[in-house]
Amino acid sequence: MVQLTLPKNSRVGKGKTWPKPQGATNLRQFRIYRFSPEENGNPRWDLYWVDLDKAGTMILDVLLYIKNNIDPTLAFRRSCREGVCGSCSMNIAGNNTIACTKGFDELPGGVISIAPLPHLPVVKDLIPDLTNFYAQHAYVQPFLKTVTPNPEKERKQSEEDRNELNGLYECILCACCSTSCPSYWWNGDKYLGPAALLQAYRWLIDSRDEATGERLDDLEDPFKLYRCHTIMNCAQVCPKGLNPAKAIAKIKKMMVERVS
Amino acid sequence: MANNEFITPAKAARGLGSARAGTHDHIRQRVTAIALVFLVPWFIFSVISATNAGYESAAEWAGKPWNAILLILTAGATFYHMRIGMQIIIEDYIAKTSTRTALLILNSFAAIALFVTVALSVLKLWIGAGA
Repeated sequence: MVQLTLPKNSRVGKGKTWPKPQGATNLRQFRIYRFSPEENGNPRWDLYWVDLDKAGTMILDVLLYIKNNIDPTLAFRRSCREGVCGSCSMNIAGNNTIACTKGFDELPGGVISIAPLPHLPVVKDLIPDLTNFYAQHAYVQPFLKTVTPNPEKERKQSEEDRNELNGLYECILCACCSTSCPSYWWNGDKYLGPAALLQAYRWLIDSRDEATGERLDDLEDPFKLYRCHTIMNCAQVCPKGLNPAKAIAKIKKMMVERVS
Repeated sequence: MANNEFITPAKAARGLGSARAGTHDHIRQRVTAIALVFLVPWFIFSVISATNAGYESAAEWAGKPWNAILLILTAGATFYHMRIGMQIIIEDYIAKTSTRTALLILNSFAAIALFVTVALSVLKLWIGAGA
């Protein structure tokens, strides 16, 4: 049966409440998931007071403020701080998103919870283990495959064909979509998930790619593809505004097209 | 597959490979859905009006050729659609292969048994009405 509750060693307990910063007037409380494999015991929720006047404008700024001023042991991934690298994806106030483009003004009231992406093994604090996610991305072979010998200069494409790739190539592999998908939670070992399938479609629809049939063969599977039940969480959370559910529907349409 | 620390991520992600299946179920689920869009409203409306006047008149209504044909078609589309839908739910929520396979077989048996029962009952009324 599918696992609907957290295993005993993953249940999140109460953690430490960190002191308020001195002399701050614009305070906001954040509840952050903490786990370290080096310490014994379950994960815990630590409570931090953050001075919003000094912390910047985005959630990533809050995390950096905490790391620099309150608790240097807090671990999280970050790199570009402008929504192109996909490193700082996490669950903020109940929604998967990237911390660097999520502003304070978009947050609901009350204490803001920040947790790692759901239903993945946690390496430390806000860092999930994305090994399987990347392996699934590799499975769809996200690169141009051709049998025609290389042309002298470049492989050409009409403007209309190039436009087909819009809304697909922008994916930054942050994993917000796949880890928000209940189908991926229950069958993530076999279901490729929205991120990998969006990339699969990006190469299926590329007019220059000559392996369309083989690509469809590798996807035609009750679990790898057909676990998508158009729940649409993927489209709702995508920080880049993409629609993986639509891409998956188009893959299914191609499957139907080739048998009818 | 056993949870082995020596299994590489690529090996785990590839698993047993693609089954090259699923598209036919996907199409049939949608085709039966289209049929049911027409059949279900007819079924609900007719059954309510046919059963208002008691058992005898309902049996007589179901024994008429067109009603009998549409009733059997409704049962066929419904139970076929139900079989695929239940199969998806079982595949979603039952992770253990042996339990899943057993339930999938049971699911097919149940759908066929339900269809045969309904079809024979309607045929009995149809043939009974003609005799």
